[in-house]
Amino acid sequence: MGVSGFAYISPSTKEETLTVLSEAGEKGRIVAGSTNVLPDIRARKIAGCILVDISHLRELKGIEIAGDTVTIGSLTTISELLQSAVIAKEAGVLWQACRCFADPLVRNRATIGGNIANASPAADGVVPLLALEATVNVESKARGKRAIPLDEFFTGPGKSVLEPGELITSVSFAKTSAMKSAFIKFGLRKAMAISLASIGMVVGFNGDTIARVSIALGALAPTPVRARETEKYLAGKKIDDEIIARASELIKTEVNPISDVRASRDYRQHLTGVLFRRAIEAALA
Amino acid sequence: MEIMREITVTVNVNGIPVRAAVSPQESLLDFLRYRAGATDVKCGCNKGDCGTCTVILEDRAVKSCLVLAAQADNRRVWTVRGLEKDPLMQALQESFATHGAVQCGFCTPGMLLTAKNFLEHNPKPDRAEIKEAIAGNLCRCTGYKKIVDAIAAVAASRTGDRA
Repeated sequence: MGVSGFAYISPSTKEETLTVLSEAGEKGRIVAGSTNVLPDIRARKIAGCILVDISHLRELKGIEIAGDTVTIGSLTTISELLQSAVIAKEAGVLWQACRCFADPLVRNRATIGGNIANASPAADGVVPLLALEATVNVESKARGKRAIPLDEFFTGPGKSVLEPGELITSVSFAKTSAMKSAFIKFGLRKAMAISLASIGMVVGFNGDTIARVSIALGALAPTPVRARETEKYLAGKKIDDEIIARASELIKTEVNPISDVRASRDYRQHLTGVLFRRAIEAALA
Repeated sequence: MEIMREITVTVNVNGIPVRAAVSPQESLLDFLRYRAGATDVKCGCNKGDCGTCTVILEDRAVKSCLVLAAQADNRRVWTVRGLEKDPLMQALQESFATHGAVQCGFCTPGMLLTAKNFLEHNPKPDRAEIKEAIAGNLCRCTGYKKIVDAIAAVAASRTGDRA
């Protein structure tokens, strides 16, 4: 592969891409917005691979609604999501998250599919999609089409069930226009910060009772996670100060954060309760 | 379609096609500085944090260190030197000078390009929107206030309003 160890190919259709990826196997590395891949190359985290450039594939772009389902093409950029009236209305939690995703320049390049594929526990695009109970649609020559619940997609930091040869084509979820949403990111700066902790919440009310709630947490476990116990606790309850106080204690038992350069495990655990309280208050407001 | 160790690309830089053979992992930033001679595009962190390498790719401000040179094939790139006759860029440059928004000047080309691209999409921003728009461009000298003032003044003069 030459001195650099890298090769490049730019397939012109999705079908061609699947063929290339199938032949490249473990050596294939999909490049779209390249906001993760280029820094990883420079940091020598990636070497000796075939860069499969899909950035120009129109088939993988755009936002569609069919009945109750919203489908986002994997090459849709974060800026395009922010400019979409559909996302603002039908997926408020995702729209709010896009506002604090990286910075405006990176948002012009970074794609939602790339954010999923990168499998960061802190991914600001993934946490809201998890709260939306999204499904990742992937395709390959070997296995055809697979629809993978996002909840089952990640296996660890930087790791997922995506196999060599598989391409994320889109992500889909049900509309949430009738629900309340909140996304809160806690980072050390407002822009270009990796989340210390983040929360995405989608709540449906029946009068003043919680009919259903989904809560997703970022950077608080080896993968983005749902707070299932807290969700169960809240379902069917009327929201008052005591319920919020109890839930904000319970949710701290559902996380398993690390200590790193940005914050300690204890601090992140404490933050979990604080973010929960802020998120539910924002959703109620 | 073939797997390539070297890719021949033609990038339209400030209206002039620049043709070169690039390596797969070469960034648009390196292409612009070392192949197109566009040294007005600055290299700061080279990992997507600082925004000094901002250029306008087609219609969008992007960090050129985060774009593969190969991905800019057959596309148009504008850097600050290519916009010297652009009325909005001229207005921004004058406003930066009169407001003292330039100190060491290293962030200035990127800051100007981000500001121009932003004002084209949002002609009547408020201060909060301006601050958000330049969130990807770091300045270690000015404390940002003068930069925000400079951009706000241009927005106000173009719309007749005060930002």
